Amino acid sequence: MIMLNMWRISWLNITQNKKRFFISLLGIILGIAFVTSMLIADKTTNDVFEYYEQMYVANADYWVLSDEHTYSEDVVTSVLTSSAVTETLLALDKQAFFELEGDQSLNQRSVRITGVNDQNSSLLKLPVIEGSLDNEGLVIPDVVANLLNKEVGDTIRFADLGEAKVSAIVEYTQLLASPSDWEGAEQKSFRIMAPLDLLRDWTGMDNELSYVRFQTNNEGEKLFQSLQEEFRNSNVYVQPVVADDRQSNDIGGLYTFFYLIAGLSMFISGFIVFNMIYTSVMERKKEFAIMKSFGYLQRSVSRLILIEVILLALIGAAIGVPIGVWLGDMFMQTLLSVFEFDMVYTLNWQIPILTAVVIGVLFPVVFSLFPIYNAGKTSVLLTLKMADQTHSSKSRYIFRAVLGAGLLIFAFIDHPVSYLAILASIILLFPFLLLGVNRIFKPILKLFFGYSGSLAAKNLTQQLNRNANTSAILAVGIAVILLLSAVIESAPEGYENEIRNTYGGDLRVTSEAAWSNQDKAKLLAYDSIANVEPLTEATPITWETIDGEKRQFSIFAVDKEGPILFDRSEKEKSYNELTKEPSILLGERAFDEWGGNVGEYIYINTPSGKQQFEVLDVVKTSNYSGYVAFMDEHHLNNEFGWANSFDMLLTLNDGYTGEQLRDQLWLDYSNHLSKVETVEDEIKSTTSALTGMNELILIMLVLIIGLASIGTANTLLMNTLERTSEIGTIRALGLTKQQVKKMIIGEGLLIGLSGVIGGIISGMVLLYVTSQSKLLAGFISFQIPLGNIILALIAGVSLSLFASWISSATASKISIISSLKEG
Amino acid sequence: MIKVKNLKKAFIQGQARTQVLKGVDLQVEEGEFVAIMGPSGSGKSTLLQLLGGLDIPTEGDILINQNNLSEMTEKERTIFRRKYIGFIFQNYQLLPTLNVEENIAFPLHADGSLTMEKHRFILELLDSVGLKELGRKRANLLSGGQQQRVAIARALVNTPSVLLADEPTGNLDRNKAEEILGLISRFNRENNQTIIMVTHDIFAAGFADRIILFKDGVIDQVISRKDDDYAKYVANFMA
Repeated sequence: MIMLNMWRISWLNITQNKKRFFISLLGIILGIAFVTSMLIADKTTNDVFEYYEQMYVANADYWVLSDEHTYSEDVVTSVLTSSAVTETLLALDKQAFFELEGDQSLNQRSVRITGVNDQNSSLLKLPVIEGSLDNEGLVIPDVVANLLNKEVGDTIRFADLGEAKVSAIVEYTQLLASPSDWEGAEQKSFRIMAPLDLLRDWTGMDNELSYVRFQTNNEGEKLFQSLQEEFRNSNVYVQPVVADDRQSNDIGGLYTFFYLIAGLSMFISGFIVFNMIYTSVMERKKEFAIMKSFGYLQRSVSRLILIEVILLALIGAAIGVPIGVWLGDMFMQTLLSVFEFDMVYTLNWQIPILTAVVIGVLFPVVFSLFPIYNAGKTSVLLTLKMADQTHSSKSRYIFRAVLGAGLLIFAFIDHPVSYLAILASIILLFPFLLLGVNRIFKPILKLFFGYSGSLAAKNLTQQLNRNANTSAILAVGIAVILLLSAVIESAPEGYENEIRNTYGGDLRVTSEAAWSNQDKAKLLAYDSIANVEPLTEATPITWETIDGEKRQFSIFAVDKEGPILFDRSEKEKSYNELTKEPSILLGERAFDEWGGNVGEYIYINTPSGKQQFEVLDVVKTSNYSGYVAFMDEHHLNNEFGWANSFDMLLTLNDGYTGEQLRDQLWLDYSNHLSKVETVEDEIKSTTSALTGMNELILIMLVLIIGLASIGTANTLLMNTLERTSEIGTIRALGLTKQQVKKMIIGEGLLIGLSGVIGGIISGMVLLYVTSQSKLLAGFISFQIPLGNIILALIAGVSLSLFASWISSATASKISIISSLKEG
Repeated sequence: MIKVKNLKKAFIQGQARTQVLKGVDLQVEEGEFVAIMGPSGSGKSTLLQLLGGLDIPTEGDILINQNNLSEMTEKERTIFRRKYIGFIFQNYQLLPTLNVEENIAFPLHADGSLTMEKHRFILELLDSVGLKELGRKRANLLSGGQQQRVAIARALVNTPSVLLADEPTGNLDRNKAEEILGLISRFNRENNQTIIMVTHDIFAAGFADRIILFKDGVIDQVISRKDDDYAKYVANFMA
């Protein structure tokens, strides 16, 4: 009963001022909503990729592949007849071209047909939307059906092969991932599925297979080892089927980005709560003093405030979490569309909601610890004597200035912690920046707002710390977002440089048959081609992380004189070492995923069986975004057991473009060419998502400024309510309501302007530090994101104006008579 | 001249209606110094607030120099107040962010009428209230008596025809109070300003020409200071 009473009293206390309660609650709601949405989006993204990876893997345990394009079905008789094998799926891949009536290029019409012996196999998971898997017709993804305007029962023709009817249309699945428009088709082939027999009929590749997938019973591991032994010196090899799509997506790294923003929003919310609770405690000092004089303990007073904070946080969580779920859904839709993933998803909300509620309740409490403690420590005598206990001393400002300036030294230290130190420095130095901005803008305010402008400038110094903190929060928000947007804007250039430096040529052409010397000579005879280099890529190759988890990537053969596939600066020594013993270089993402240290050994399932290789170094490469490895060509051919090259890297003569050459190559090598990719294609596909990302960043910039503006509204409201008597006096002395409004708007404008100016300066400092950082090895250049600065300025100033308008309305409505009584 | 006709004021809070002024008729001549006394809740402060245009009457008219406050809009009343009325409050109500000079100049700033001439006048006022040396000092750093002198200078800066004082000496000791009341009556004499002062203090009321005794929202008695036994009469009334 007593406890219930405490909650009721707390409720009455926090709702005493409706507007202040509403604004503070809004701040908490938005903070929790951001955090919830990010947690949900992260979990859901993981689920989505896991779902599609599992769909790709299906029930298969192992597969037999070849380092040539195809192999004879006879080679795998031991698999097909093994008692350990419970189910098999035979597959043949063949590159072909749609026969269409439109004017699409050969490149755009390129399609990879996978022939399978059983479309209903449990080793395949095909999410059918329409039709049935009858093993007689074609299975096509919905995006292809839409683009070709085909339905179940319609016929699709393939150049030089034949025609077949569509028997099923399926949803997105990795196995049949296809472009959804003709522009995308320039960079990526379509993929469809046909019955194996039909494809063999069309191609004449009787008895040929690209791979066999199979499921095993508990004898599987034994069979795997015996097959590794059996295939040791052949052109086929066995690998476990592993769900690992990291080579084709790097979406996980993106979430560091968004968690940073969610953390920032929670920080701003925390500050809003701190402001509200601190002001409330200061206002009620007398009440606490009276409570203590009647025998209440320090603990009881602190508990009262704690309950108020928890109540506020719980209400915030109750409203913020559902909004966060909705935001998370919106975010997922935007994210998948930005990355052009035609995927379906189910929101994973249970754990994220639980986490968000815990964070949502804990954070406000943590931010309110000081006022909670302060309330308990209220001095009865001093408070009842109305002594001013809150006045900030000069020594505190000096301490703040010295500490702030000291932390700025971190700008010269190349370490991730420096960013936090710089942000802390900005917050500490903000009172001085606010005073500077105040001095500069005072004449301008006076010009536009008359005497109200002068008063606004003077009033700002009255609660300097609070006003400065409010501005600083806005500044930190703007600085971080500007840094992120500058990184996003600058990244395409960084990626482009990295791709051009490590792509190995101007075009990469992939064939279904190993390239011969005659092919090489024929290519060199083209006027446009300056150089031709074979590229050996062993794929898919499975390996183990340091924790024994199975992963899958590609291994490129490298040669000192061959094409440059990774950043070789300062790597010459390790490159030389590659040639000595069978060893390996890992791309950055692969190295992080592996989890070991340079000098340790990585276990890899090679075509010659499971082997361990020393990891010599980590290298930067654009190939598969760094989820890749490199091995000396000689060792890859011999100890590793991979002999053939299906790719050629072409370097063009000056004045020629890959686009011009592409169609010619398709015509000349149409019987075995499977892919022609230019370096521009690779740059475009890598950077196009970043352009979409920039739009997301802009939305977040406005949202963060909006949240910070709620903080401004909150602070101004506190300032207004604390100065009720003063505002009553100036109204009594003849200031009109309009003049009072202008005064408060002027204060808000100064806080907003200081925040925006401080944010832009801080953002530039952070960006400069980032551009100079060796950690990023010059990936980010110092480019001023002018567009985003203008947006920050407009959004910052206009939202601050809106925020101050809310308080100005309250100020102008203050009753002169009752406020004079308070004084 | 101030004319108050059948002035009524009621406050409504929820369902409850409190009739504070129940029909006040009053005339104060130009240059007259009037003290209003009465027990708490008698309506004297409400009358002062209505005279200053801080609030509007429920019924009746207030004419100051033939301007009817009851017929003015909120904005017109504010502008009228800053031009023609000076206020002195019990708690001084100085603005803490402004220095003494800025506090005094406030009504002129609000009006946009601060000139060099007016600035010289501010300095004269400062001198006349004995604070010549303290013009640049923050107002909240002064003593109570000094703050009230600043408040008086502020009330006089726009040379108002009417000066309204609400318990101007309520927070001061007898010596300081005498000093302040002396200043107020000096300005009354020198500038022929009409002064209406609400007070509980018979000593303060003794500086006025007339004493109006309020009771239950109506004027109960009007006494001239010239009456020999006014002090005794007032004391009895207040008791």
